[in-house]
Amino acid sequence: MSFYFVIIGTKDNPLYEAEFGTWKQGGDGVARFRDEQRHLNQFIAHSSLDLLEELQWAGTGGSMYLKCIERFAGTAGGGSGGVVGVAGGVNGAGAGGVWVSVFLTAGNIKFVLLHDTRADEPIRQFFYDVYELYTKTLMNPFYSVDMEVRSAVFDGRVRAGVKKYL
Amino acid sequence: MSATKAARMGEEVWKTRIDKVNAELVTLTYGSIVAQLCKDYEGDYLEVNKQLDKMGYNIGLRLIEDYLAKTAPQRCVNFRETAEMIARVGFKIFLNITPTVANWTSDNKQFSLVFEENPLGDFVELPDDGRAQNELWYSNLLCGVLRGALEMVQMQVDAHFVSDTLRGNETTEMRVSLVRYIDDELPQSED
Amino acid sequence: MTIYSFYIFDRHCECIYIKQWHERERAGAAIRPTTSASTTSPIPDKRVSAGGKQITETDISMRNGRLSVQDDAKLIFGVVFSLRNMVRKLSTPDDNFISYRTNNYKLHYYETPTNLKFVMITDVKTNNLRVVLHQIYVNLYVEYVIARNLYVLMLNNYIAVEHSGGEGVACELFELGLESFVVRTLKLIELTT
Repeated sequence: MSFYFVIIGTKDNPLYEAEFGTWKQGGDGVARFRDEQRHLNQFIAHSSLDLLEELQWAGTGGSMYLKCIERFAGTAGGGSGGVVGVAGGVNGAGAGGVWVSVFLTAGNIKFVLLHDTRADEPIRQFFYDVYELYTKTLMNPFYSVDMEVRSAVFDGRVRAGVKKYL
Repeated sequence: MSATKAARMGEEVWKTRIDKVNAELVTLTYGSIVAQLCKDYEGDYLEVNKQLDKMGYNIGLRLIEDYLAKTAPQRCVNFRETAEMIARVGFKIFLNITPTVANWTSDNKQFSLVFEENPLGDFVELPDDGRAQNELWYSNLLCGVLRGALEMVQMQVDAHFVSDTLRGNETTEMRVSLVRYIDDELPQSED
Repeated sequence: MTIYSFYIFDRHCECIYIKQWHERERAGAAIRPTTSASTTSPIPDKRVSAGGKQITETDISMRNGRLSVQDDAKLIFGVVFSLRNMVRKLSTPDDNFISYRTNNYKLHYYETPTNLKFVMITDVKTNNLRVVLHQIYVNLYVEYVIARNLYVLMLNNYIAVEHSGGEGVACELFELGLESFVVRTLKLIELTT
């Protein structure tokens, strides 16, 4: 099971990207994506932003905010903001779809996670973990919103979060 | 005044006579000051250090009166006592931290303040441009504060940081040395 | 039990605040001392040296033979400064001059560790007001003057470090506080004596 995780800023610019493999069931933590899949990952992540924005503004006031759980056709929702799952087909090499989970922060920053198996609860916890790390990064006076996150400490902690939850 | 008495007094003044403010507010405000200075001086971190020291100096000139009003101390007989009062009472009532006094020289004119925690630097990571790590002393305001405050009580000191956890060192340490005792000013006479 | 006047001197030997309650003539207005020549006098005042006490009579302001307010302040500073040094030399450096009394008035003195000097002149019957001066320092000066100057500090980008010529001390809060404090203390002392 492999994951592709990206943090997207308010201007649709990527702030942080990472690939992981699962640690559960004897996985060794290394992502295994086919080569074409890698390019597609970014494409899928971006295209999901459209759907996300629709959902973001479609709800009645406050529905995207804290402690709301929504379910959409074929998707899983949970936690603060919306978690949207989209089944996308990958043409060419056959094999199954890719699920997209998204976490939206109050500052309009999106955490997007691509994964090939659904796992709502661990993903939700992972998102909250990363959210805490992100707020700590925001507290750094030398970091401004929409800046790339380059800190090695942040990277290390995100990977630790993957290990813990996924 | 012995160290334990000073510690007790610091604790007591902290509990009763001080108005408290949110620590994160102080951290974030100080952080924006430093970040803005860095932007304004376009990466001349030595100049930023100097400005922080100047700001601290002006704060120290006034802060000493506040300190004296709140603690009503007796005069310190020697520099060692001064150091203890600074660490156990001064820093306690204004920042709620107690740095340790260490590394006295044999003539008792220099000492180090070792900070285990530095509330000014919470959540801070120095920018990655290669020079900040070597040139910027993030908490340099504190050096200026000590310099200004001690000058108002007739001591000329020099204070500077020698290590900082934000730079990757193990401890945050400030070195304070007494340059001289300042004599009272005489009024000018025009005859 | 009356208070005649009140002075604050900073560590640079300048008078930064004067307040006079009338036993004499003028209304009790706080005066901001100027360090340069007084504006009413075309002839510059001579400064008073610490040792000898020159009395200038170039004062024009009102009384004949009376000193202007600024000269008053300088004289008082000279007296206080010399007495303090003498006391320290005669005994230990810790010893402090507290007050002196003449036929007509009593002068009370309090000095902070930062060499800020508070002087109050009252009639002869008053008990020692050193504690009162300390209270003025702690509750009024520190709160209103220091805090206000911090505010001024941030606005003006770190200039105006100290109160040169008394600028910044005579702010309203400090004045009102001082008035009410003194009145209250007078009443209290009258009741207890």
